[in-house]
Amino acid sequence: MTLSAIHRARPRDPLPEALLGELRARLGDRLATSAAAREQHGKDESAHPITPPDAVAFPTSTAEVAEIARLCARDGVPMIAFGVGTSVEGHVLAIHGGVCLDLSRMNRVLAVHVDDLDARVEAGVTRKQLNRHLHGSGLFFPIDPGADATIGGMAATRASGTNAVRYGTMRENVLGLTVVLADGRVIHTGGRARKSSAGYDLTRLFVGSEGTLGIITEITLRLHPQPEAVSAAVCAFPTVDAAVRTVIQTIQLGVPIARCELLDTLTVQAVNRYSKLSLREAPMLFMEFHGTPAGVEEQARTVQELAKELGGMDFEWATQQEDRNRLWQARHDAYLACRQVRPGSRAFTTDVCVPISRLAECIAATNEDITRASMPVALFGHVGDGNFHLVIPIDETRPADLEEAEAINRRVVSRALEMGGTCTGEHGVGIGKLDYLDAEHGDAMSVMRSLKEALDPRNLLNPGKVIRVRDS
Amino acid sequence: MTAPAEQIAVDLERQREVVSALRTFLPESAVLFAQEDVKPYECDGLTAYRQVPMVVALPETEEQVCRILKECHARKVPVVARGAGTGLSGGALPLGNGVLLSLAKFMRIVQMDVRSRTARVQPGVRNLAISDAASPLGLYYAPDPSSQIACSIGGNVAENSGGIHCLKYGLTVHNILKLRVATIEGDIVEIGADALDAPGYDLLALMTGSEGMLGVVTEVTVRLLPKPEYAQVVMASFDDLAKAGEAVASVIATGIVPAGFEMMDQAATRAVEGFVQAGYRTDVAAVLLCESDGTREEVADDIRRIQEVMEKSGAVQTQVSRDEPERLRFWAGRKAAFPAAGAISPDYYCMDGTIPKKRLGEVLRRITAMEEKYGLRCANVFHAGDGNLHPLILYDANEPGAFARTEAFGAEILELCLEVGGTITGEHGVGVEKINQMCAQFSSAELAVFHAVKWAFDQEGLLNPGKAVPTLRRCVEYGRMHVHAGQEKFRSRFKVQGSRFKVQGSRFKVQGSRFKVQGSSNIGRPMNTKFPTLNFEPGTLNTEHRTRNIEH
Repeated sequence: MTLSAIHRARPRDPLPEALLGELRARLGDRLATSAAAREQHGKDESAHPITPPDAVAFPTSTAEVAEIARLCARDGVPMIAFGVGTSVEGHVLAIHGGVCLDLSRMNRVLAVHVDDLDARVEAGVTRKQLNRHLHGSGLFFPIDPGADATIGGMAATRASGTNAVRYGTMRENVLGLTVVLADGRVIHTGGRARKSSAGYDLTRLFVGSEGTLGIITEITLRLHPQPEAVSAAVCAFPTVDAAVRTVIQTIQLGVPIARCELLDTLTVQAVNRYSKLSLREAPMLFMEFHGTPAGVEEQARTVQELAKELGGMDFEWATQQEDRNRLWQARHDAYLACRQVRPGSRAFTTDVCVPISRLAECIAATNEDITRASMPVALFGHVGDGNFHLVIPIDETRPADLEEAEAINRRVVSRALEMGGTCTGEHGVGIGKLDYLDAEHGDAMSVMRSLKEALDPRNLLNPGKVIRVRDS
Repeated sequence: MTAPAEQIAVDLERQREVVSALRTFLPESAVLFAQEDVKPYECDGLTAYRQVPMVVALPETEEQVCRILKECHARKVPVVARGAGTGLSGGALPLGNGVLLSLAKFMRIVQMDVRSRTARVQPGVRNLAISDAASPLGLYYAPDPSSQIACSIGGNVAENSGGIHCLKYGLTVHNILKLRVATIEGDIVEIGADALDAPGYDLLALMTGSEGMLGVVTEVTVRLLPKPEYAQVVMASFDDLAKAGEAVASVIATGIVPAGFEMMDQAATRAVEGFVQAGYRTDVAAVLLCESDGTREEVADDIRRIQEVMEKSGAVQTQVSRDEPERLRFWAGRKAAFPAAGAISPDYYCMDGTIPKKRLGEVLRRITAMEEKYGLRCANVFHAGDGNLHPLILYDANEPGAFARTEAFGAEILELCLEVGGTITGEHGVGVEKINQMCAQFSSAELAVFHAVKWAFDQEGLLNPGKAVPTLRRCVEYGRMHVHAGQEKFRSRFKVQGSRFKVQGSRFKVQGSRFKVQGSSNIGRPMNTKFPTLNFEPGTLNTEHRTRNIEH
């Protein structure tokens, strides 16, 4: 769906007065209908125009979410689950109006089982909050999308991060869920056991469903032991291609690298400015190695040799925890940094992912698109997974910018699909990638549509996202 | 597990109709129906259940598979897909009124790609054959169920198989990238992607472990891993089961992720030593095997630490494999545990439950107590690292009443797994074997979601009906059965009042001999379509009982 298409006014009925009254009776001042609250919940980090819900509820328990869902279902009112609004594909936009359920007040870490390496949290807990909570336990939760997103939002969008190459994405790290269904019933999926082959894998069905099949209220997560040794390094390369080839060979050799991020020259410049660093302004890899002291040393040596053969400079080490934190925070802020390249702009992002064997070719071709673009386009990404992003800064007052960004995105996506890749490696579908899904999945879309119809027959859960049902 | 059903007599007219329909596009030799021809397909690895299928179809191409499904769909004939028939929960048990769709002829490795480290294979390819073919390239396929010599990759997908190495490398679902699936309508759907993540709903995960109830897998793209440079295993012997259980938790707590981590109790080591001479001590309560793989430096580091932890946990002896033949010998015993049980007992019944690791010692003690209660021996082998138990109940089918006691013993073990927060099947699947325990593990809302998923793929319920997901009617009957057997757990939720039922704390009410749904939900009932009321059929009761603990 193009951005312009979303602008089209959609018919929406106002919320029934009776429903508002009942919600207010239950939630008191935890129900907001002010323009400010609604606007704040009608946008995310994407360039999509603000599309506010009719009301915002701030439930504090699964039972309250279930109650709200039951009432909304009774009156046929859409429900949109909301974490902290850091998604980038318009996932939380209330394009059919309805009630937004802001889960940020469900922010308790319910349990940490150090022996079993798992934790149970409410959906509104953020990833940084969880890691602060785990401090001193010897464990950590690895998935780190750029923003300090909520665990619920990360589960809903099947989020990934800089160390997915080693620890997997939310798909591998969610063990179980509590989900409120479209009619307000509550189910538990999965559990604390590491394996179960009982019944269909509902956990993974809800992970990545972007609030369209149910509202995730609690999550059981897999935790990982803090590695004994960690070392991080940056390495500059003469070309993006040389950096990419180093990564490909690293992965093909089976080096268990924990993080491996590519930043092109423009991104490095932006990051230097935004995060006050003084990195060499050249294509660069940010890397991190986890393991035993001997293992880490050996991994780093192997990668250094590969880099050298391809013209990489010497590794610069970030040995202090403090330096490492600065480095990775800078990487996480790359999206914000790139937006600043053109002050006042909104960012249009792409998120393709290709098999690692096609990565060099894909990035080379994408670089040509960047060169031809009329605005400064930054390229960076989790290249160890074959996943990379473009940040295209667009001036909202210039319609031509949006058209150009959409054209670049179309080219990048169709190239990725041709190479057996995907239109979205980690950001999800939302409304931004809706149209590409058909191209990518073909017949599988009809199965997804049937699933949506079976679990949300009245299309009340985050309607218009992921999948188009009838007139949505 | 319930007593095996009566054999259903084949409807000969229906059989003739189906055979002639299939023979319009399949050669005669690929459509079997004579008693002596279909007999070999009457059961899978769960031999306690047998049923001769009405017709066996042996297609060779994907088009033929689609055509068979189309014909069956048009005639409302149920279809059961079968790989190598090594399943342990009866997932491939045929139907007397159905077609058994054998994928045995799909034996081709279509493509091996070194650069992307993937292999595209047909579903009938044996698990081990993939690793064998990848071996010259320095690669292998990680999941390694004990039956890997014989089991097929299609069956692995259907059951989400694990194995010794899944602790570090994951289950089937973590090691496949893409599937080609034939739907019951006979259409081909491609799901998953060659790249890291496919957007939209995770159909790949949904299909994996769905036990042939959502579609028929016709091609699998698996992920291959580089063979580790080096591997070593520590064998540790303990004179106390609880200490061994503690040692497992302590090793995991160090942060090491062993490539394999297995435990055997004394009954198991004795059986195995009599069978393959792996070098296990038979005078100890338990033997642990813990493997590390990677580079030589990493392995040396890990092994040293594992050995230390084992000794600190009270191991009476630890031994590190000195060379590759010794490492393989240590594992040979564990891999031969099932046949070894077969050698010391006329029959054995293999269970499969998971528990949180720290409850291991307690669960073992209670299984020992059950041995006495049921008068049967039980040898225990575990994927200790992920808390997956395989108790092997030893019995003699010719002894009157022995099978019934075995079943009761097995059911009690599974319910114990649930009680401590685990699940009723770690890797063998539900099939027909554990369908009743599903009622104990899942609530009615959860079963309704299962039915909704099933509906989305197979509206008429023609794919492997009667397996994996119970109808609510069945759960009611199971609840009743347990009340009659005097089991406290269900009685607390069910009250039998004369010939009527009353469910406490639910929205459903019994009226006369039928049940009426009050405040019905329409999940699982899509708009504008005729939906066979799977979740609330008349005469069934929405049972709200559940026993799973969600620990906080």
